[in-house]
Amino acid sequence: MAARIDFAHLSLMDALDLAVLIEEEAKERYEEFAAQMDQHRTPEAAKFFRLMAVNEAKHGQELADRRSQLFGTAARTVTRAMIFDVEAPDFDEARAFMSPRQAMKAALASEVKAHAFFVAALPALKDAKVRALFEELRDEEVEHQDLVKAELAKLPPDSGLSDEDFVDEPTAQ
Amino acid sequence: MSATCEFQAKDYKSDLKPIWCPGCGDYSVVQGLYRALAAIGRPPHEVAFISGIGCSSRIPGYTTAYGFNTVHGRALPIAQGIKLANPDLLVLAAGGDGDGFSIGGGHIAHLIRRNIDITYIVMDNQIYGLTKGQLSPTSQKGRTTCTSPYGSLENPVNPLLYVLAYGAGFVAQASPTDLAGMAATIEEAIRYPGFAFVNVQSPCVTYGEEAQQIKGLKAISENLAAIGHNPADRLAAMDLAQHYGEKLHLGVFYKNPEPPPTYDALIRERQAQLSQGALPKERILDLFIKK
Repeated sequence: MAARIDFAHLSLMDALDLAVLIEEEAKERYEEFAAQMDQHRTPEAAKFFRLMAVNEAKHGQELADRRSQLFGTAARTVTRAMIFDVEAPDFDEARAFMSPRQAMKAALASEVKAHAFFVAALPALKDAKVRALFEELRDEEVEHQDLVKAELAKLPPDSGLSDEDFVDEPTAQ
Repeated sequence: MSATCEFQAKDYKSDLKPIWCPGCGDYSVVQGLYRALAAIGRPPHEVAFISGIGCSSRIPGYTTAYGFNTVHGRALPIAQGIKLANPDLLVLAAGGDGDGFSIGGGHIAHLIRRNIDITYIVMDNQIYGLTKGQLSPTSQKGRTTCTSPYGSLENPVNPLLYVLAYGAGFVAQASPTDLAGMAATIEEAIRYPGFAFVNVQSPCVTYGEEAQQIKGLKAISENLAAIGHNPADRLAAMDLAQHYGEKLHLGVFYKNPEPPPTYDALIRERQAQLSQGALPKERILDLFIKK
């Protein structure tokens, strides 16, 4: 069975490792979404998802560096099985021919989801350093949301058309 | 069998990129499967993944396990052959509702009565997606499709009741609405010593109806453990299974608390019995040669 996170006894090293894993999962999901968009000839959304993957990788690397400065090469005790879709966008957020706006909205939803994860975990945390880290991560999610919102604001207004307006209806064979 | 090496989900992920429609529920299923296999810890070369034909049947190609994308409806006979030929393999079978309950429907009963140690994952989307949206065996009555333009007149097959009625020892249902739960359910199914069936409500984003998408499924989902269902109670499981199509019960419906011996184990036992006092293979010819 998938192990659960014991927030009450989470050490700073474990908390940093979890944060790295969360970023890794999100990075992989964005890469998968980008590949799906390539596959379905949706290049603008693919480009945006790739950008998000790079951002998640960068953030993950920063956290990993911090972890190694503090704890060196001490063996990791937390696993990917403990997290599921914390900051990674949900699989069903992707659609063929999605617009950049839809892609950004999917990313925004995942940042909101990650923020909710850190907020929900805070009351259970006992270690002051872990709490400080989670508060920092929570606040960063708000910053990320603001960044995505800023990108969204740069987009031209919606055409008002939906996929149904220009994608051929699937036909029977 | 190697057991000491620790595997991660990515170890089961192949380089092949899925070509399912973006948003398809099957992306979650393969992810849940990677997680389940990593938790089980069998190396990819000890896993054989067999499928039929359909969108979901592409799944073996997206894993690093041995895979065989067979012919329509024939995943189970081939999976049985593989398990009997090499019982040490962890054998998984997968396919869609059309593959499993229409053209391949006759095979399930025999796999269940033999109780061969295979886990069968059906990605049930109530439609033939690959061939562009025809009525499938689990499509709801009244469903309008290109092959039922005035609405279906047929009642759907209930996959859960079907396998429970034949006596399957492990029956569960999962959905991308609960990814962690799906991974845990698949893992539990694989660990069950005998035939295990997992029906995954996996939405078709292209031909599926609105109510069958993630939001619609979430609205009707209910966790079996949360409602206090006892998975050892087969009759209670059958009672709950009757709500297929109206409610989405997630988790284990039935798990035989005393799993009977598997067919593969019985065969090995029989072989051991018959081989006692038997001539070695190289001397069998002697029986037919007059001296």
